Amino acid sequence: MDSDAWEIIHIPDKPTFSPEHQPTLKVYASVIKPNFANTIVRHLCKIASLEDLRHVKRVRKKILPDHGEPQLTVILCLAPEDNDDDMPPDIQKLVDPYELSPFITEVCKYAAVSKEEWEEQCKLWPTSFHPPTYNIDGIGGFSEEDTQSICKFMRVAIDLAVCGHKTIVNAAVIVDPSVKRIIASETDQVYPSSASGDMTSAETKSFKERGESDHCQSIDTVTDASSEMCLNGILENLNSSLSTVACLNPWQWSLQSHDDESKWHPLKHASMVAIESSSARDRYLFPNSTDSFINNHSQPSDADCPAKKQKTNSHCADVHNDNKEALRDPLIEKPYLCTGYDIFLVWEPCTMCAMALVHQRIKRIFYAFPNPTAGGLGSVHRLQGEKSLNHHYAVFRILLPGVAHNALHQDLKCVTAES
Amino acid sequence: MALVKEEDSHKYMGFALQQAKLALEALEVPVGCVILEEGNVIASGRNRTNVTRNATRHAEMEAIDELVEQWRKDRLSPSQIAEKFSKCVLYVTCEPCIMCASALSFLGIKEVYYGCGNDKFGGCGSILSLHFGSSQTEQGQGGKGYKCRGGIMAEEAVSLFKCFYEQGNPNAPKPHRPVVQRERS
Repeated sequence: MDSDAWEIIHIPDKPTFSPEHQPTLKVYASVIKPNFANTIVRHLCKIASLEDLRHVKRVRKKILPDHGEPQLTVILCLAPEDNDDDMPPDIQKLVDPYELSPFITEVCKYAAVSKEEWEEQCKLWPTSFHPPTYNIDGIGGFSEEDTQSICKFMRVAIDLAVCGHKTIVNAAVIVDPSVKRIIASETDQVYPSSASGDMTSAETKSFKERGESDHCQSIDTVTDASSEMCLNGILENLNSSLSTVACLNPWQWSLQSHDDESKWHPLKHASMVAIESSSARDRYLFPNSTDSFINNHSQPSDADCPAKKQKTNSHCADVHNDNKEALRDPLIEKPYLCTGYDIFLVWEPCTMCAMALVHQRIKRIFYAFPNPTAGGLGSVHRLQGEKSLNHHYAVFRILLPGVAHNALHQDLKCVTAES
Repeated sequence: MALVKEEDSHKYMGFALQQAKLALEALEVPVGCVILEEGNVIASGRNRTNVTRNATRHAEMEAIDELVEQWRKDRLSPSQIAEKFSKCVLYVTCEPCIMCASALSFLGIKEVYYGCGNDKFGGCGSILSLHFGSSQTEQGQGGKGYKCRGGIMAEEAVSLFKCFYEQGNPNAPKPHRPVVQRERS
């Protein structure tokens, strides 16, 4: 890999296997005469439908080099894993009439999630491949422009994580990708020592006091030079202790010495703080939307017209806040939680943070390093694949230039286990 | 240790249900909780996700923040606060979600009692089982588990949810059900 390139990889909702090592299942198959094909397949679908193997083709067609006619092989049924000679009696009955000669072969257990996997599967037995159809940008690849802005926002997160802290912490940057604007950028506030002097939690300082520049920072203000420094900083520190990264060590908060002067909280991981900050921004920019709903609610005439009230109409809110950014900038629309927003994290979030991001309706998550101790996006749990949840985001890992990725995973395991 | 007597557990869950009713009156998802230390209620919380526009402000998080704030004011150290949490018992009207169930493990809470299960988000058995703690505990890595039991006054908790969904969630982006006028009790 080009050491200067940043690479973005999709972390799918199922665990992945290397294409050569996909799980397989044993099946009984037999070569059949082409003129029996239709009848036998119809019959088999009734008595031995392969419900969990919809991706596997029932019939394999092979052109043999010295025959003009293609050779057809059909899957008869699943074969028991432990016992090789028992075929169900229903299938056994077909052997003589259709002149079958059953043998055991292997097929891939799961549908392919990539073209590479699919090509590998077909060497074993043909399968079908349907590229993912999620309707989230990026799963099918990013444009050059998108890649650049994604990498820039990841640099912002790395800057925050390293620079201005005594120790390395996790950082979270929430972005509205439609206007490439930073909505919130925060770091862990679990340890007193991790917050630098000028960092104040959203709780202690109202959104108004903090000034809007913090929150609506344009991406152009990020200089490549400073983030290059921070990136180098993080790479150097990956070999030292990462015990103050909240999501990597969520149970270790009580081991720290304390400092009466600064704020800390065992659950204030970067993602939680950033969510609080983005909701503070929402409340500040659109202060009346909840009130105006409650007023409407008390008027019976409106009660049977819910659609009217549901509209997040920012106009009435703006009238009283004409000095606020909302009116100056027509691009700012009232958000519903973080719908449509991206979050950039240096480390894969823990399960608490990953679920918080489901609740807050984040659209895409980008992280740089995995979290083998508590990660909620593939390392320990995989919330993007929990079907019962009412919201699903797309998850991407950004591979940083100059990092030996396989080694890194191991290093992290050691570092966190020793701490 | 001796389990809480049924009579007591109904008393404590009654307090949690009171909080849930307050949430319902405030047009919030009706979930409430209380945290006990040696049989005394030391904190309470109710869902405040709509008014804060922060979907992580679940009842448990509200009660936890109240305690952390208080104990920090009392100048307790992180290890003293951890010691305190290890003696706390939570009563919550609905099974903690995956986020809250993780948070309770991080804090090292002693016991959790809940009302109805949560088959969409539940983190104490329904979807994930975070109350067992993490499996990676060989190196003393933490991963604390806690004792957990559900089904305490579950019908009461469910009937509050029914009220809420019948009145409609005014803050949902696209209403599944129309928002109707409700008599406040």
